[in-house]
Amino acid sequence: MTGVIGSVLILSGALLCALAGIGQVRFRDLFTRIHIATKPATLGVLLIGTGAMFRIDIPGAISLLALMIILQFITAPVSAHLVGRAAHRHGDWDRDAAVVDQLAETDQL
Amino acid sequence: MIVIGIALALIAVGGAGFLYRLAVGPSLADRVVGLDGLLTVMVTGVIAWCAYADQGFYLTVGVVVALVAFLGTSAFARFVEGKRR
Repeated sequence: MTGVIGSVLILSGALLCALAGIGQVRFRDLFTRIHIATKPATLGVLLIGTGAMFRIDIPGAISLLALMIILQFITAPVSAHLVGRAAHRHGDWDRDAAVVDQLAETDQL
Repeated sequence: MIVIGIALALIAVGGAGFLYRLAVGPSLADRVVGLDGLLTVMVTGVIAWCAYADQGFYLTVGVVVALVAFLGTSAFARFVEGKRR
């Protein structure tokens, strides 16, 4: 039973990774690509790590997986935000596709 | 067991997409996104392989790759931001 739960969780996380890869090829804007790239970074690692907790039967594996999930949850949004802000300030993004640009108003202060 | 094999194949598809973005990304920020996503997919692949083989040796590799991915991405972001037009 636990093996089935783990398999389903790992499969859904892997599906999220595949969708992110397809989105990297098909999306046309930098910020939409950052948006789809951060989904497997938090939710995908959470799903696959939780699924692996059900499947790996080794002492110490659960603590390492929990450490990995917590580190990803702290660092992945921060790094995605850093890349987005740096690209916005550097100017290599599509201004015509943006509906609202609040960071430009904030940067002028 | 075959379900995790399918999951590894799906993770490989995701890695191929991020590798495409790393190779042909028009700007430097696109390449940074591709590199960050590729390392994230590598972490998920390490975890899925450990579940496939029922071994715990390489989980430490996953922790280290996650940390190095954050350091590399933040350093590249500073580099992109410092480079004025």
